[in-house]
Amino acid sequence: MITPGNRTRHGIFILLRRLRQPLVVLIGVYAVAVLGFTLIPGQAPDGQPWRMGFLHAFYFVSFLGTTIGLGEIPYPFTDPQRLWATASIYGTVVAWLYGIGALFGILQDPLFRRILHENGVERAVRRIREPFYLICGYDDTGSRVARELSEDGARMVVIDIMPQRVDTVEVDDLTFSVPALKGDASDPMSLVLAGLRSPHCAGVLALTGDDQVNTKIALTAHLLNPEVPVLSTARDHASHARMAAAGADHIINPYDQFAERVATSIRTPSLQVIYNALTLQHGTAMHARPDLPHGRWLLCGTGLFTRTLRRQLERLDIETVIVDPHLADEDIDAHNFHGDPTDPSVLREAGIEDANAIVAGTEIDVDNLAIALAARPLNKTLVIVARQTQQRNTQVFKASPAQLVMLNGHVAAAEVLRVIRAPQLATFLRKARDEDEAWAEQLLLRMRATFGDSVVESWSLDIMPAQARAVCTALKRGETVELQQLMVRPNGSQYLVRAIPLLLQRGKERILLPHLHTPLQEGDHLLCCGQERARATMRHNILGVGVPKGPEGKSLWVAPALPQKMLIERDPEDSEMGPLTQSG
Amino acid sequence: MSTERVLFAFVIVLALTLNVGFIAGDINDINHHNVYELFAALVVSLIATVMKFGDRSPLGSSMLATSLVADLQLIAAATAWGFYASGGAALTAHQGATVVSLSIGAAVANVVSVVLLIIEMANLRR
Repeated sequence: MITPGNRTRHGIFILLRRLRQPLVVLIGVYAVAVLGFTLIPGQAPDGQPWRMGFLHAFYFVSFLGTTIGLGEIPYPFTDPQRLWATASIYGTVVAWLYGIGALFGILQDPLFRRILHENGVERAVRRIREPFYLICGYDDTGSRVARELSEDGARMVVIDIMPQRVDTVEVDDLTFSVPALKGDASDPMSLVLAGLRSPHCAGVLALTGDDQVNTKIALTAHLLNPEVPVLSTARDHASHARMAAAGADHIINPYDQFAERVATSIRTPSLQVIYNALTLQHGTAMHARPDLPHGRWLLCGTGLFTRTLRRQLERLDIETVIVDPHLADEDIDAHNFHGDPTDPSVLREAGIEDANAIVAGTEIDVDNLAIALAARPLNKTLVIVARQTQQRNTQVFKASPAQLVMLNGHVAAAEVLRVIRAPQLATFLRKARDEDEAWAEQLLLRMRATFGDSVVESWSLDIMPAQARAVCTALKRGETVELQQLMVRPNGSQYLVRAIPLLLQRGKERILLPHLHTPLQEGDHLLCCGQERARATMRHNILGVGVPKGPEGKSLWVAPALPQKMLIERDPEDSEMGPLTQSG
Repeated sequence: MSTERVLFAFVIVLALTLNVGFIAGDINDINHHNVYELFAALVVSLIATVMKFGDRSPLGSSMLATSLVADLQLIAAATAWGFYASGGAALTAHQGATVVSLSIGAAVANVVSVVLLIIEMANLRR
């Protein structure tokens, strides 16, 4: 078996063993030619018989083979010598051609190239001296995650079984050079080669489209490097438990994510805008609220996607009808309609005229587009949700009548990035989901007033001695540090930075939207959102030499009134990124 | 019996015999030592080295090392001879002794090579 340790040796062995024969031939031909020149009698200019020494013979043959001679030295040759020189020319040239041909043959050899490739990746991984993510699978999800992580300044290593995808790593404009291994991620050896056991490995992202492979990756990572967190995507709910047992720390199901976000959009549309603002890379609080209807939903297709979505919709007491040609007879009832959804007459029979929304959720992009196109003329007010499976069809989906497009890879990627960037966001969103629309709307208005249309960032602050020296020192002295003191601007203007604390985690307690006068304690975890400048200021405030004094008295900084036009809801430009920002 | 093994052993033993054949005789008298024999010993030694390339047996790397030592010594001997004999001059006793003693060193390396070969063969039998 080839282990990473003896790979280099293995490559050299192959090279040497294949070169054995050409080298023996070369030595043999040279030896015969040299010997011939020393034996064949020559003639000195004075007519005396003369024999070439080994030195002269070796010298002559050396340049004979490579340059077909520079002249007859030291004296002009006799006829027998010329005859031998002719034979030697052919012999040495053929031997060289054979040797060079063999060398190129080996360099082209798939096995040899593979070993070279693996050695190169291994060396590149070893040279990474900072934390990196190991990304397994480089399809839609993987490439998106890689691109955004790279923009965040993170290092990574990519592994994928398909050579074409690995090649795109070089084409994709990533900030750092990313070592990319062509290999099977379900093979532990490939994972180790790609740096699974490296002390710098900060996380394994199992993003192959295959649940079994992802489970195997989680298992391998858990056993070979128990320290490293594993994040895995799953499609089938049945594999969640297996994946968790194998050691995956986070399991991301794009269908669940999408269904939950559809449900959130229906129940608390403002929260969905907040969610997008916090998770999208260039998200702002100014996006329009999604407008998904209650009422009757037609779901086309019976895959995992539609089943997951149906479960979420039924929880909101929304009537759903599944339309699918492959339904078993015993399943057919008022909520399960048998028929091909791409056929307008079937859609009409299924009641599209009374429906409020249709989900084109089959596994085939063409069918989904056909459903969207067939549905539009039948019901002008219908909200059309289409599922897209292949990234390359993005243009077509954008041009289609679908208002909402779900691309698996992007939903999964957004979730992966969220888990990596702000792990506390999940807690916040889980708690926020229990609140009602009025609460969400108020928060959204507060966000809009506080940071308007600037890009929203979210960040965590840990009140720990290592990260918050100033705060912890003040707390040890018995001083009270209020939350708002962290938010004071450094210029002494007593204004607060444009940020909103979203969540305060204190032990088991989780406080949503903590009040700005909340006294801090050591061990608090704080989640904030706001402008990027605010993040830098707050980081500085907790670490700096002293905690700034809060604004005098009880008067809190109040957002200046925004120009009215800024509050007008804006259409999002980038509907492709946000799985739940609407287009059209 | 495999042809490859026979050829392998043949070359290694031949390298030793040629080498010993060259050094046999009075070290001070260059007439006892044939230049063609040195040439043959060098060529066979080079071929033996190449044949040990990529041999992954446990003793393979040691055999390659001894073979490289023999090559080095023989190349040194041949270069010395070529240098001393430049201009058609005959070798002095000291110069001849230098060439032969370098070759004796190579012979020792070749003996080690053959011993390793025998050890490997013996291990194969078991």
